[in-house]
Amino acid sequence: MNNTMTIWTRKFMTNRLLQWKQMATDVLHPGKATVPKTEVPGKLVKMYKTTPHVTFVFGFRTHFGGGKTTGFGVIYDSLDYAKKNEPKHRLSRYGLYQKKNTSRK
Amino acid sequence: MALLKNLQEQVMAVTAHIQALTKKVQARAYPTEKGLSLLEVKDQLLLMYLMDLSHLILNKASGGSLQRHAAVLRLVEMRTVLEKLRPLDQKLKYQIDKLIKTAVTGSLSENDPLRFKPHPSSMMSKLSSEDEEDEAEKGQSGASGKKSANGAVKKYVPPRLVPVHYDETEAEREKKRLERAKKRALSSSVIRELKEQYSDAPEEIRDARHPHVTRQSQEDQHRINYEESMMVRLSVSKREKGRRKRASVMSSQLHSLTHFSDISALTGGTPHLDEDQNPVKKRKKVPKKGRKKKGFRRRR
Repeated sequence: MNNTMTIWTRKFMTNRLLQWKQMATDVLHPGKATVPKTEVPGKLVKMYKTTPHVTFVFGFRTHFGGGKTTGFGVIYDSLDYAKKNEPKHRLSRYGLYQKKNTSRK
Repeated sequence: MALLKNLQEQVMAVTAHIQALTKKVQARAYPTEKGLSLLEVKDQLLLMYLMDLSHLILNKASGGSLQRHAAVLRLVEMRTVLEKLRPLDQKLKYQIDKLIKTAVTGSLSENDPLRFKPHPSSMMSKLSSEDEEDEAEKGQSGASGKKSANGAVKKYVPPRLVPVHYDETEAEREKKRLERAKKRALSSSVIRELKEQYSDAPEEIRDARHPHVTRQSQEDQHRINYEESMMVRLSVSKREKGRRKRASVMSSQLHSLTHFSDISALTGGTPHLDEDQNPVKKRKKVPKKGRKKKGFRRRR
């Protein structure tokens, strides 16, 4: 199949309180398996002309029957705000945070 | 010129009045020790305000400037305090009015709630007889005691509650159930197609979002809207998953081709229980306690 992966963004909103732009992302991938999360920020960067280290995506759910996946995307104003406002588990997915594995006892 | 004369006359009247008041105050005709402290504070503040104001007027009249005068700051401070006291005043208004009324009339007013205090002394039995008579006496004397405290006996005003019809009998419940079944039957596909066949109205083709907007699909839509606006993913409980699966199974079967809805409510025949309809309804109403019993009944 040809490399057709289209991204639509809905419910776009600039959130001044968290210094980010939030949106719901629809990824269309007819005939293919679900697109991994690591490929989606690349496309968002091209669409919104930002840098890759301030775009984060999460919460992808594929609809019944395949072909369409819906998730959320977030673009920060700067990396400082991203480090301040983003939850740690999402930062660690992009390598900006390392969880300390201290022993429990 | 007439204005000045008017002013002079008024000033003389006011001075005389104030001199009389000062004499009375000095003679301790207005004792305020047992009064409300709030009112005393207000009195003092207003007096100080007046003094400062008159000082400033004097200053301005003799040609001085008011810029950065100490009295102006004092005035501003007092004004703010007075404004802040205003809501307190509002809250005390009811109490003060009541006190004034009592002071003027000498007794509580007609519709004062304090009049309706219970009088335990009038509820005690004054006779030494058997227990039944005692209790009857207590009840009567209690009621009469209250009545005498009220004054005249008032007309009985029934409480304003909206009565709701309670269908006690099985027949009424049956009737309601029948009515609901009739309504459901009227909007079933069989009757709708008959209507379309025999009515003269033109056939409508609507852009169907979904002809059967079920409760489940509405809930799903609500959930989706919430998730997208809050940017979170909600977890789906087991019960919810089961409901969804049942809804999807029901709508995707070819069941609807051969099974028509029950229109016995209109024809008067015996109702055949459609198994698909009941589980959805019973699930909603059954509490956790009685689940076992109802489950058993359903299987039968």
